Amino acid sequence: MSKNAKIIAGLVLAAVALSILMFTSMPSAGSKELKISELVKNSAQYKDDYVMTQGLLNKDSVKWNADKIELQFEIYDEDNQTLSVFHNGIKPDNFSDDVIVIVEGFMNDKGVFEAEKVQTKCPSKYEGEDMENYDPKTHQKVIEGKQE
Amino acid sequence: MYIIGNTALYLGIAIAVYALIANLIGIKNKNNRLLESARGGVLSLVFVSSIATFLLLYNLGTSQFQYEYVAAYTSKNLPLVYKLTAFWAGNAGSLLLWLFLLCIYAGFLVFSKEKRNPMMPYVSSILLLNILFFYLVLVFSSNPFKMTDIIPADGKGLNPMLQHPGMILHPVTLYLGYVGLAVPFAFAIAALILKRMDAEWIKLTRRWTLVAWLFLTLGNIIGGWWAYLELGWGGYWAWDPVENASFLPWLTVSAFLHSVMIQERKGMLKTWNISLVIISYALSLFGTFLVRSGVLTSVHAFGDGNLGTYFLIFLAIMLSLSFYVVITRYQLIKKETNPIESYFSKESSFLLNNLILVAGAFAVFWGSMYPLISEALTGTKVNVGPPYFNKVMAPIMLALIVLMAICPLIAWQKATVEKFLKSVIWPLAAGVISAIILVVMGVKGIFAIIGLAATVFMFATHVKEYIDGTRARRKATKENVLKAAYKLLTKNQRRYGGYIVHMGIAIIAIGVISSHAYVQDVMKTVNLGETIKIGHYEITFQGLSEHQKNGNGIVVAKLDTTYKGKSIGTIKPEKIFYETWPEPSTEVAIKTNWKEDLYIVLSSWEDKEKATFQVKVNPFVSWIWTGGLIMVFGTAIALIGGKTTSSRALRLKQRSAKAGV
Repeated sequence: MSKNAKIIAGLVLAAVALSILMFTSMPSAGSKELKISELVKNSAQYKDDYVMTQGLLNKDSVKWNADKIELQFEIYDEDNQTLSVFHNGIKPDNFSDDVIVIVEGFMNDKGVFEAEKVQTKCPSKYEGEDMENYDPKTHQKVIEGKQE
Repeated sequence: MYIIGNTALYLGIAIAVYALIANLIGIKNKNNRLLESARGGVLSLVFVSSIATFLLLYNLGTSQFQYEYVAAYTSKNLPLVYKLTAFWAGNAGSLLLWLFLLCIYAGFLVFSKEKRNPMMPYVSSILLLNILFFYLVLVFSSNPFKMTDIIPADGKGLNPMLQHPGMILHPVTLYLGYVGLAVPFAFAIAALILKRMDAEWIKLTRRWTLVAWLFLTLGNIIGGWWAYLELGWGGYWAWDPVENASFLPWLTVSAFLHSVMIQERKGMLKTWNISLVIISYALSLFGTFLVRSGVLTSVHAFGDGNLGTYFLIFLAIMLSLSFYVVITRYQLIKKETNPIESYFSKESSFLLNNLILVAGAFAVFWGSMYPLISEALTGTKVNVGPPYFNKVMAPIMLALIVLMAICPLIAWQKATVEKFLKSVIWPLAAGVISAIILVVMGVKGIFAIIGLAATVFMFATHVKEYIDGTRARRKATKENVLKAAYKLLTKNQRRYGGYIVHMGIAIIAIGVISSHAYVQDVMKTVNLGETIKIGHYEITFQGLSEHQKNGNGIVVAKLDTTYKGKSIGTIKPEKIFYETWPEPSTEVAIKTNWKEDLYIVLSSWEDKEKATFQVKVNPFVSWIWTGGLIMVFGTAIALIGGKTTSSRALRLKQRSAKAGV
């Protein structure tokens, strides 16, 4: 075995160690992307999962408590399945308009979604296209900017 | 105007095709006149692409809303500078910019002093392929000179987020980096086709690669700076797929910059270097594919699919070409590559550094692609966010910092352990002492302390190397300290330029580690006269006010702020409601001192006397920008120095030696 081969063998070993690190940290760090109806139907199955879902905002359901910095609202998907969301954090801009809301968090026992992240995106076509045409990062940032 | 613009584009296609064919036939028949003509073709491309570029600039600058692009990204009352920089606000303009830069680069190359180099027609052909691709995409997918059906009275305006100095610079610098990667790629492939296994292509492209890398560095840092100032979420890096797309080639080019030194000096790692340059180039295209296709940002799915598809197809073509060339030349490369001589040497430590950088790139790539992979395998899309990247990248970055601390102290070929231990003792001590000081000061967080200590260790190594070098020089030349230090730098610009870059990275690392580990964060709703306390700061709310500026409504919060009991003035975070944009934008208020930023966002309000604020104290963030400047400075020193003329002489010598055999 040449020195080259030995060095490569050592390096491969290091690479394996790295992959293990990557794979093990993967499930805990990820969020499952589900539809609201799927999440509500199988809420027991997903109760320990960090979930990402999205839906249209029900404008009338928004309750914002500025003193406690608590936000409650409902979102619904195209099957008209509604999801109640509770968020301990800032109310995003434009939270009264027709926006799509993307939430990340856990489903609690009472069937309320406890969101750690709340982001909005505008369904308006030209708006979206403009953003995309620039680049999605910007949009990502725009909504991230708002949720915190 | 419409005709000129489109003619410039179609003419570009024709000339690119012609020059490409002229090159290929010229190479085949060894016809110098045809090759000369292809050179002329490249020059004409510089010309026609300039016309298209200036025309678009003109259209933007004078608000020609009959053009879709102008109408989509500018409006009448936009300041001129943003009208012009809206050039790269959309697809069509960015692609034209890319094309323009590519043509300029190609023009410089084919008329450089290397124009008679036998590799040049191949290099030119590969670049022409790239140019042709961009022309085709421009014409068939996103034409910047497309007309609107009805001329609108005013344009839609530029996204307020993009109206920031950072966004003037960020896209251009990244493109300069991306485009620059095509040059070493073209040379590598040309060298392979011609079966030239020496390091000539590396020497010829050293500056190009370094410049590309410099721009990638700048692009990433300016992007972070912009995000921090403009987006108001308090951070500068979110591991967004698109950010990752620009970070990936940076990692592989960083690896390449190190491993080429080994090939230059020792003739080792040839396959590795070629692979790295191909991967870096491919990643630059892949990054663009990610940005433009929207496959990965499906939650923000606004994608117009076909542009991404074009990039994917082109990427596949270029990769297959590269792969074919590498495979057919593989035995030859292998035969001419020297094996590594010793485990404990600069060579193997460089190899380790390369492996870590590439592993880092792979980890980032894997995380970015995981949503797609998981969806394909399990049907459920799993998005991985910052927790994954932080967890995986933290040890990788730590390993890199430790390696940077050790590497400069290891000698070429065969280092001795004793000598190494002798030189490592002081920098290591500096690292350990700094860790002890941090612990005594009551700083918490074992991983952050390890990271900071490693960074100090790394910084100290470089300082020590410089002091030792100066001392050795003084001994030999009897110069005074300053002169010796200066001469040492100017006589070894590549080396010490590189060291300065490392020191810049150390400064950045301190910023990144501290701002991640020791950020303070308060979210509070306050009434008039109430105070928010954070760190040593006390912030008293003095009410909201509203005014108009340039037709935009601005809501301003007045906050009287004290630091350690002393007033540091009034801070005014804002929310701006743009006339032309449906969403308000957040103007963060930042108060910086040397060790921390006070970062205040006006989040929302109930009335003029009750508002909610997000307040952060971000330690050492300004060090990240400072470190970035130091990196640029170091790269500039390395660029200016290390003349490649000597390599030309060397090559001539080699050639005559070969002729002698």
